[in-house]
Amino acid sequence: MANEITLTIDGKQVTVPAGTLIVDAARELGIDIPVFCYHPKMEPVGMCRMCLVEVGRPMVDRATNQPVMEADGTPKLQFGPKMETACTTPVSAGMVVIGMSDKVKAARNDVLEFLLTSHPLDCPICDKGGECPLQNLTMGFGKGSSRFEFEDKQHNQKHVPLGELIYLDRERCIQCGRCVRFQKDLADDPVIGFYQRGRNLVIDTSSEPGFDSIFSGNTTDICPVGALTTADFRFGARPWELKSAASLCNHCAVGCNLTYNTRREAKSDGNVVIKRAMPRQNEAVNEIWLCDKGRFGYHFAESHQRLEKPLIRKDGELVESTWDEALDMAAKELRAYGFRFVSLASGRLSNEDLYEIKQLTENLHGQACLYSPMAGGDLTPLIGYADPQGLSRVGKGTVIVVAASNLHQEAPIWWMQVRAAVKRGAKLIVVNARSTRLDKFASAVVRYRFGREAEAVLSLVPAAETSGESGKIIAAAENLVVLYGSDGIGLEGSRQVAAASAELLRASNLLGKPGSGLLPVWQRANDQGAWDTGFTPVDDLAKVVSEADGVLIAGADPAGDHPAYAAALKKAKFIIVQEQFLTKTAQLADIVFPVQSMLERDGSYTNGTRRVQRFMPVVEKLPGTRPDYLVTAQVRQKVVHSNLEFISAAQVFMVLAAHLPDYQNLTYATLMETVPQHPILGRSDVYYGGTSFENRQGLGVQLGTAANRRDKYSLPAAPSTQNQLPDLEHAEELMAVPVAELLDTGTITQKSVLLGKRTSTPFALMHPKTAQQKGLAAGDKAKISLAGVTYQAVVRVDESVPTLHVLLPRSLGIPLDKPVLVKVIQ
Amino acid sequence: MNQTATKYAREIEDLFAKYPADRKQSAVMPLLHLIQRDFGFINKQAVRDVAEIVGITPTEVASVVGFYTLYHDTPQGKYRFQICNDLPCALRGADQFLAELCKSLGIQPGETTPDGMITVEAVMCLAACDKAPMFQVQGPQGITYHENQTVEGALQLTKELAGKEVKA
Repeated sequence: MANEITLTIDGKQVTVPAGTLIVDAARELGIDIPVFCYHPKMEPVGMCRMCLVEVGRPMVDRATNQPVMEADGTPKLQFGPKMETACTTPVSAGMVVIGMSDKVKAARNDVLEFLLTSHPLDCPICDKGGECPLQNLTMGFGKGSSRFEFEDKQHNQKHVPLGELIYLDRERCIQCGRCVRFQKDLADDPVIGFYQRGRNLVIDTSSEPGFDSIFSGNTTDICPVGALTTADFRFGARPWELKSAASLCNHCAVGCNLTYNTRREAKSDGNVVIKRAMPRQNEAVNEIWLCDKGRFGYHFAESHQRLEKPLIRKDGELVESTWDEALDMAAKELRAYGFRFVSLASGRLSNEDLYEIKQLTENLHGQACLYSPMAGGDLTPLIGYADPQGLSRVGKGTVIVVAASNLHQEAPIWWMQVRAAVKRGAKLIVVNARSTRLDKFASAVVRYRFGREAEAVLSLVPAAETSGESGKIIAAAENLVVLYGSDGIGLEGSRQVAAASAELLRASNLLGKPGSGLLPVWQRANDQGAWDTGFTPVDDLAKVVSEADGVLIAGADPAGDHPAYAAALKKAKFIIVQEQFLTKTAQLADIVFPVQSMLERDGSYTNGTRRVQRFMPVVEKLPGTRPDYLVTAQVRQKVVHSNLEFISAAQVFMVLAAHLPDYQNLTYATLMETVPQHPILGRSDVYYGGTSFENRQGLGVQLGTAANRRDKYSLPAAPSTQNQLPDLEHAEELMAVPVAELLDTGTITQKSVLLGKRTSTPFALMHPKTAQQKGLAAGDKAKISLAGVTYQAVVRVDESVPTLHVLLPRSLGIPLDKPVLVKVIQ
Repeated sequence: MNQTATKYAREIEDLFAKYPADRKQSAVMPLLHLIQRDFGFINKQAVRDVAEIVGITPTEVASVVGFYTLYHDTPQGKYRFQICNDLPCALRGADQFLAELCKSLGIQPGETTPDGMITVEAVMCLAACDKAPMFQVQGPQGITYHENQTVEGALQLTKELAGKEVKA
């Protein structure tokens, strides 16, 4: 092939695509050229000089332009007088690289000696010790002793908190700039930078608060020394003491693969505790990145507020009980009240849990409700974005539409991948009521007033009269991905946006191509799994609940989220709650079953792209707790005398796979299959890509779609383009709309103490004119009166927000699940 | 709010006119020059102000301040005597010149005279190796070179500068 190049590295031949760098080509052969500043996910800079190699190229006779041959007929090679950096030099035909000569080894020795002139060599107390590229390479190529005078060492601060989450040891820093480049080039948060120069050069932050980025933890993975460490792991354990368990992040729909490192500790009574969360490479999902919520937000499971015994209501009070008593009571009541049964579950639960709850609901002829303000999970099996490569490879030819979503806060890793896709040549169209952090990367931005989301999305249809520039972009697309979120909309709005997005995809005539489809930005990790197992959100949840005889709630705290739900639950005759904590909902229950967190058990999630992935038990289960699927199965056994044959998650999954056509042929074994991933990362040679883990525990399985299989399917009719919200021109009140905030205080997030310091406070985001009308300015405390209750929020202003609207964050104490009129006063 | 933007409104307008509209950050160094000229150093608030004006993060502005040796992040004397004592200058007696000048002023290298007028500091090569001892003076009027210097001459200069301040 013309764009493939064959070269020789250390006597071995390799063929790689043109443009490949020597260091990456060597990697394909299993030859490791050491690097510090180079990282395969970032542009090379050639700063550290560690990767110097001898490079020879075939000699060409300038007179004849013909290759010069040796006497034996092989091409004569010309080596440069100096060595070249393998991380910045692209391969060329016939190139010969010598990566292990005495000259190369001497160069590595020199570079290491230089790097170590002021390095403190405090490996025995360094968190990176044992998985440190500098340590490993010094052992491999460095000197046994230093020629440098000890007194001449540059001393720097060893304890610099860059923010609440990341600590910097300036002595250990070797100034490779990986962290600075990551923050600028990938995270778009250039909040750490070099300061001063030469030997005085340090990493510093001037942001308020320090290191203000939701991706900050990634810098500790790619730091090739122990300079950047997390507040979570700093002085917490030695890497070689740690065991690993593969898991998934359960905070959003991306489904990031991660590995928890654990050990037994005396201070935890000899129990297994999680010491840190590390990314596990899955190029189709999160590559090697995690957002800070995913990395630091696992501490909920260690909370001392966990429920350990079943509770039952006796004489109006919730009292501790036994499993047998509680299960018997549940069965008795359900048999009595089983006429109008409602189950309410969220995407916090695994597929196995949801399947069991769905079975019980069917047995009782009840209604299975999904606790989510988003619609469209019925469209994804038909026309979902199901590219097995995920967003990480999207580039030229693809048009990405992000509609009604503040993607940066709703799904940080997808935000990063969309941004990277634009860098690779994809075109981005942002459709949102207000400006978001994607706008500056967009080829076109479409604004609308809240309530007109569907209309705005439909205006992109190339044939539409209003489509304009964005319509032209879409008309030229080879692939079209439409992401829609929940920025400022409730369930009804979401239904409109989903239908409009589906219509846009249908009109593009690109459905059926694997790189095109619909991608809902669900709020929870397994919302898609909940749709797939038969749960759907309902418009008037309060009404449905209040009219029910029996309600089973799992993985959701409606009473804590909204007083209306609390009032509705009080009307329900009988409530069973499966929970980890005594939430407000649990306090209203007649029976509370204490369940295990995902960290204590195994199961599977289906992420937003419908990739089914498995998670393993990480820590020992809290005594007295059971997994959700088992609790429901045991209730079900007593209610309908079903066989209790499903005692493990794997067995439940087998039955689920047998009954759900899309999940056919899936088993835990298939979810655990892996294939080699590129770039090759996460092996013991941590200098190349950082301390992310190699994925040996499964890449999951991407489900197909009806469109891609060329099955017959039908889409909903295009939604009306009517404004969904009332006209505000003469209203005294403002239209309050809910928006996502990553670091909120949801049931499990708020129990993660470390993140608490960075958790957002309730805010009210308005157009400055609207704020002024209400006598408010940025920073003021506003009183928001909602259904008779007053809530406080700090005023923020943004000129891109439509006037007469106020944006309020979800899950930060203000109950708002859809646009409603509110009074805002000083 | 942003005092820098208010104070230099006209200058900022002129500066932005020199660069493409979407390359506002090109103005970061001339803006820092203005502040350095008027205040002798660039404090954290000024860094934040400049960042807001040109649309980059304060961290990036601070990196520029830190990288270039003629921007200062701490207040020092009004006039900075920057004496080169790199190898060629040292061979021509720069170290001794530095020591004697400091002794005469009653300060250590890197320190400022009690009246806040003069700071003496050793710096890297100023590209006048053949004319050492030499120094440059960085002050409100800009930078001036002084070559083939004697301690007496330098002291005379400090007095002249101080005298000019009194008149002003």
